[in-house]
Amino acid sequence: MTDPHATPERPALISPGYTSGTVTDKISEVVLKKTPRWWYAGFAVAFLLVMMLLYAIAYLFAKGVGIWGVNIPVGWGWDITNFVWWIGIGHAGTLISAILLLLRQHWRNSINRFAEAMTLFAVGCAGLYPLLHLGRPWVFYWLFPYPSTMGVWPQFRSPLVWDVFAVSTYATISFLFWFVGLIPDLATLRDRTKNPAARIIYGMLAMGWRGSARHWHNYDSAYLMLAGLATPLVVSVHSVVSFDFASGVLPGWHSTVFPPYFVAGAIYSGFAMVLTLAIPLRALFGLQDFITARHLQNMAKVMLATGLIVAYGYMIEFFLAWYGDDPYEVYMVANRALGPYAFQFWALIACNILAPQFLWIKRARSSPAFLFVIAIIVNIGMWLERFVIIVTSLHRDFLPSSWGMYHGTIWDVATFVGTLGLFAALMFLFIRFLPMISIFEMRTMLPEAKVEEEPK
Amino acid sequence: MTTREQAGRSAADYAPPAALEAIRRGALLTGGVGAAAAILGFVLDPAQFYRSYLIAFVFWLSIALGCFALSTLHHLSSGAWGLMIRRILEAATRTLPFLALFFVPVIPGMRVLYHWARPEDVAADPHLQHQALYLNVPFFIGRTALYFAIWIGFALVLDRMSRRQDRQAGGEVRGAPRDPRLTRRMQMVAAPGLILYCLTATFASIDWLMSINPHFHSSMYGVAFVGGQAVSALAFTILVTLWLSRRPPMDVAFRPTHFHDYGKLLFTFVVLWAYFAASQLIISYQGNLPMEVGYYRTRTHGGWGTLSLLIIAGHFALPFFLLLGRDLKRHVGGLSVVAALLLVMRWCDLYWQAAPIFSPDGPALHWLDAATMIAIGGLWIGLFAGQLARRPLLPVGDPALPEALNA
Repeated sequence: MTDPHATPERPALISPGYTSGTVTDKISEVVLKKTPRWWYAGFAVAFLLVMMLLYAIAYLFAKGVGIWGVNIPVGWGWDITNFVWWIGIGHAGTLISAILLLLRQHWRNSINRFAEAMTLFAVGCAGLYPLLHLGRPWVFYWLFPYPSTMGVWPQFRSPLVWDVFAVSTYATISFLFWFVGLIPDLATLRDRTKNPAARIIYGMLAMGWRGSARHWHNYDSAYLMLAGLATPLVVSVHSVVSFDFASGVLPGWHSTVFPPYFVAGAIYSGFAMVLTLAIPLRALFGLQDFITARHLQNMAKVMLATGLIVAYGYMIEFFLAWYGDDPYEVYMVANRALGPYAFQFWALIACNILAPQFLWIKRARSSPAFLFVIAIIVNIGMWLERFVIIVTSLHRDFLPSSWGMYHGTIWDVATFVGTLGLFAALMFLFIRFLPMISIFEMRTMLPEAKVEEEPK
Repeated sequence: MTTREQAGRSAADYAPPAALEAIRRGALLTGGVGAAAAILGFVLDPAQFYRSYLIAFVFWLSIALGCFALSTLHHLSSGAWGLMIRRILEAATRTLPFLALFFVPVIPGMRVLYHWARPEDVAADPHLQHQALYLNVPFFIGRTALYFAIWIGFALVLDRMSRRQDRQAGGEVRGAPRDPRLTRRMQMVAAPGLILYCLTATFASIDWLMSINPHFHSSMYGVAFVGGQAVSALAFTILVTLWLSRRPPMDVAFRPTHFHDYGKLLFTFVVLWAYFAASQLIISYQGNLPMEVGYYRTRTHGGWGTLSLLIIAGHFALPFFLLLGRDLKRHVGGLSVVAALLLVMRWCDLYWQAAPIFSPDGPALHWLDAATMIAIGGLWIGLFAGQLARRPLLPVGDPALPEALNA
């Protein structure tokens, strides 16, 4: 059965020949059949990295944040860079699941599930860093406004406190959105699995879903409402993160364009991460019929557009540094481009601005291997961007006598690579135990699900 | 009439209503009267004339230019929402060459408007001397000429392609051979068009408005200007759809779902504009640097403080809550009331940005503010109505039109 709406210009979002039954088989068998060998190998590597993370954290608790490279004047280093990087990656998942749903962009249906999972895991990794950075992480609850007998109260005018609320709200909504979207598919797995233990677990998670019309009605309104709630969060979370910097008066941090520019950067890196995950996954599980070339192309276009917004941010910041004629601002720009961190700066320009320009070419957008390379480059570039913003502004500010250099230590690297491992391990578990593509949403996209109105 | 019959109608069925001619004449006449009053005002008080004129010019230009931006966005997103209003957007972009002429009176007024254009001020201020490399009279005029060349060039190319699409279809919506490559080619023009628009609009906002306030600069300024243009253009477009949907042939083409989409889009633009404006305020407030806080200090005291509150209420809070619900967005009448309010607020916002430097203690409204608005507005609406009357009201050659009509 072929899609009558498909044209050569806009191919169908599911390859022809599928029915409801075969779509369900194809996606659920990834979870229900025997674990492939490469999964064990991949999970083992990720698990080792998680162990390394635990070791690095244990050592940090024993010794204190001094084991990292941070000191005066550079009090934020890899840790906050990683925080911003991870939290930014999460944004693409929310954008895909919430905003594209509200915009009725149906191509999102095959990528939203694992993009949402990616959001959750990325937010988890991000959340670790501010906690570890506290120095005394066991008193993290001081960040919350609870009636403390010590009379300690958070400084509500500080964006760092806003961050606590922004990120925890974001994590909650992302989890609810992901879980609500999973319920019908968990019921499918419950009905299909042969393993009695799995049937009980999936059954409990499916919360008694039977697929009645009333269930679907409630489901639809809940899902739309959560999408509406999640949409402002795409913008607000990273705006608050940008306030962490922009509220200060440090040259290179205090710029009014930061909120939209940070949000665009977040979506940019998030889509790069979605591509980084989607391209190998579709190849490994043979899901090219569901995550089609058109999906990859659309994501490449989003990356190109958000990359250009990021470039606009760099451009306007540099121009206004000259226009404003503030000696510290001018020096900040010169120091970024020519100072001791010039390599990182120019690498970030190459990764974030030059590399994605290849995506103008349709052939580049159609090659999964090439897209994968570009996505990795953008991931690196966005990490460097946060590093450059944070470190170059701190290491040389107003007083030359208090200038200094910053270098991450082996513990910074171990913590960062460790969270990469944590993220990968969670992704491995996710693709093994839950359907990584939304089965029921894919079924609605089949030609047989499209009801044509009879001409009167 | 069923949707299928509707989709089968031809270009002749979407001919613009004859009443447009009356609008055109009436608007031109009003504009002429306004222009006479403005000229009188110029003789009596040239300085005030320039101040009022700049705001009026930017207000009307924002609508036409915002329509250009929306049309590129429509081509790139290839959504159904844009097809129903594409002819309105295109008619507005065809007025851009005339708007370039409307800029000419700003040139002799530069000395009145901008500190950096007065040699005696520049001589006394090292900061202005530094900026003189960028902010000087010939470069300012040259840049403006370049902006208009880019906007007009891209707008006309897109417009021509759209007309070719009509002709290729032979005026028929269905059953005629179409060239799908044309859709793609319009996208290829729209992409660089939108990028260059963002850059040029940013620098235009810096040149025309931000540089009025010496020593003030904000990297959000251009972004907020672009966001404001989106509100202006969509609000104007909604008012035009209101007028069109009240009479044949478009009364049967527009449906509540279309207005629902425009309502959602307007809501998005209003929220985006507020997000830009609020971010700029929060960051400036927290930084508390003289350069930025001075800008806000003037605008939060006395009469300007009242205007600020009015803008928060009228440009954000009220439209936000009105557009939140579903019913209002599906009725063009209610939607148009919000659109009209937003257009008024757009003027207030521009006035709030540009005027306080000339009367720091509070708004000093002058009859020339109204006269220049009526002069440019009347002439511009007349030009717009004339352009709108030239083509079928829907892009009959676009392959996606039947889908958009049934949306």
